[in-house]
Amino acid sequence: MGQTNPSADQQLVEYAVDRVLDETNTDTKILVLARQDGRPDSFPIWIGAAEGHAIKLALDTTLTPRPMSHDLIKSVMEHLNVRVRRVVIGDVKNSTYYATVYLENNGVERTVDARPSDAISLALRTRAPLYVTEDVLARRNTANLESWLAKQIPKSSSNQQEVRES
Amino acid sequence: MHLKGLMFDPYNNAYIVVLRDEDGHEMLPIWVGKAEAGAISMALENVAPPRPMTHDFMKSILDAYDAKVISVVITDLNENTYFAKIHLMYEDSEYTVDARPSDAIALALRSNAPVFAKESVLNKQSSEELEQWLENLKPEDFGKLDS
Repeated sequence: MGQTNPSADQQLVEYAVDRVLDETNTDTKILVLARQDGRPDSFPIWIGAAEGHAIKLALDTTLTPRPMSHDLIKSVMEHLNVRVRRVVIGDVKNSTYYATVYLENNGVERTVDARPSDAISLALRTRAPLYVTEDVLARRNTANLESWLAKQIPKSSSNQQEVRES
Repeated sequence: MHLKGLMFDPYNNAYIVVLRDEDGHEMLPIWVGKAEAGAISMALENVAPPRPMTHDFMKSILDAYDAKVISVVITDLNENTYFAKIHLMYEDSEYTVDARPSDAIALALRSNAPVFAKESVLNKQSSEELEQWLENLKPEDFGKLDS
C-alpha cells in the first residue's frame, strides 16, 4: 500500500499520547501528543469521535467485553506473527496528517499508510513507539494553538481525575 | 448470507445490519453501533474515502503480507454479546480470529469474502420479530446513516 519510504536522514522525534480532549460542539476529539526528549511540546491532532474513543480505551486500558476494531487488528497480527515496529507521522498536506506503520514479520519489513488515529490506536495496544518527523514539526500550523490548549487543560485534568478514580 | 441492507433503529439509537440467506428464507438482524455501521455502509456503497478508514487499514496490513480473508462466520448472537470468526489464509496455513460481527462483515466486504451464519444463530433468532420490524419501517428509514 502506501510505500512512502522516508529518506535515511529524516530526523524522528519521539512523542507519546498525552490525552484525548473533547472538542465542544462538534463530533471531533483532539488527540494531544507530548514530546518525549525533554523539550516540552504538545502536538494536537483533530480526530473523529469514534477514533478518539478507540484511543481512550487503549489509554485507560479499559477492558471491553468484545474486541474493538483495533483489538481485532492486534489479534490478527498476533496470529500472523506480524509486529508493529514503530509509527511515524511523516507528512502533512492541507492540515491532514499522514502516518506510516512499520511492520515486521520474520525479518520482512513492510510499511502501511494509515490515518494517525488508527496508527496510534494500534501503537498503544502493541506498545510500539511513536515518532513525528522534524519536517512535519516544522510545517505544522501552530497558530492559536497555545492559547487554545491553555483554555482546555483545566477541564481535561479533571476528566483524567475522574477516569483514575473510577 | 448476503447483506440485504442497513437501517436505523430509532428506538435503540443504533443501526441494524440485515443479512439474508441465498433463498431469501432466513433473515438475520445484527445491531451495530454508528461507527461500525459507517464502516459497513462505505464498503456497501463502494465509497472510496480520501484516507483509509479503520477496516481499510486492517485490509492493508493483510495485503502487506499476502494474507487473505477466506470467510466470516457469525457464530453467536446473545443479547449484548455478538460473536463471529474470521478465517484467514496466510502462507498455506489457516487462522481463525475472534471478532465482533460488525468488524468481521466490514472486513469481509472489503475482501470479497463470503459471510456465513451458523444454523443455530438463525434458529435462535426469531425472524417474526424482524418481519414486524420491517413492516413498521418506512422506505426512508433504509440506507440512511446520517440521521
